[in-house]
Amino acid sequence: MRMTAKTKLLALCLVLAIPALALAADSAWVLQQSTLTYHISHPLHQSEGVSHEARGKAICHAGQCDFLIAVPVKSFDSGDSNRDLHMLQVTRGAQYPMVTVRTRLPESASASTTVQADLEVQFAGQTAQYKQVTFQLAPDGKNIRLTGTIPATLADFKIDPPTLLTLPVKNEMPIRVEMTWQPQ
Amino acid sequence: MKRKSLSTLAAALSCFFLPSALCSAQSSDTPPGNSSQNQTPPAQQQTPAAQLPNAPSSSKSEPSLEDLGFSASQTQADAQRQALLDKRTHMLKVHQRLGLIAAIPITATVIASFGAGGKDTSSASRDLHAALGGVAGDLYFASAYYAIRAPRIPGTTTRGPIRFHKAMAWIHGPGMIATPILGIMAFDQKSKGEKVHGIASAHGPVAIVTAGAFGAALLSVSVKF
Repeated sequence: MRMTAKTKLLALCLVLAIPALALAADSAWVLQQSTLTYHISHPLHQSEGVSHEARGKAICHAGQCDFLIAVPVKSFDSGDSNRDLHMLQVTRGAQYPMVTVRTRLPESASASTTVQADLEVQFAGQTAQYKQVTFQLAPDGKNIRLTGTIPATLADFKIDPPTLLTLPVKNEMPIRVEMTWQPQ
Repeated sequence: MKRKSLSTLAAALSCFFLPSALCSAQSSDTPPGNSSQNQTPPAQQQTPAAQLPNAPSSSKSEPSLEDLGFSASQTQADAQRQALLDKRTHMLKVHQRLGLIAAIPITATVIASFGAGGKDTSSASRDLHAALGGVAGDLYFASAYYAIRAPRIPGTTTRGPIRFHKAMAWIHGPGMIATPILGIMAFDQKSKGEKVHGIASAHGPVAIVTAGAFGAALLSVSVKF
């Protein structure tokens, strides 16, 4: 029995459909709201910059969820426009306008109260890895509220510490993360 | 006939799952042996896309920046704006440095003013006070130049302590012009053996207000209130 060209093509399509089906996402999560706060210490000042403009998405497949969270550098507001512009300059925020965070978590983590995440942060043209960062998880109806602190430093991203009255700020730049994720 | 309907059903099902680019070949009457060529275009398209830093992920297992809905203008680098920010920071750093240095002769001038009075037509303390005032004025205006000439960044509004810092400039700026003029008038009157009179008698009060506004401007961006 000889197969016609059309039948061959259809058979090929069916064969290719199997991996396509396998690649299809099982579920997805969307970042509903967020508050990201960086903290900077100076002998004369303690400053915080806050952004609510992060966007994020997680695509889950085979029990693993790939997360991507991104936030514009210029969206951080410290309450002082002069400081914000200086921050934008030292972090090369016009050249590298986005901060992105990528991580992979098991889908089952949504049922836990804490989760350890390996983060890959791209910021100021540099990529830094943070291993086993602890986040607290709390259910909020169908959503999940996630809180934690990323122990970032200026040196991780090769940022020259800004100075005030010739005194530089401390190297530590912890970033407080508060996020609400919604299943899609 | 039955086989034909089965193959049509199979085609419809695979079209439902496969990317449209791949399945569009089904509608055309492809000659036998050309099926492998149909996979080539998507593979070729993936190559340049993968080289782009923010290109959409070829696999749907990882989200991309485009999936998050950021516009190209938000994610693209702006070298011109970065250069503007760099220039602004450089000029404001020079402004800050010169302003801090100017604070030293300004303070010294205020201290020296206590010995600048008296009834003598000339005194070393008065000369010192005048000389310190001159140095303070030069440094002050050099510092002011860098603040005024620092480029403005489009789309930004002034918020926070910098507003007070800038407001103070409307006091100490005119004050730094008026104080030396009044000082020269007072100096001349003293040199002639006259008692300081007229508008020159405002030299002291104007100087105090000017120095006060300058100090407040400096502290407003240095110490958190």
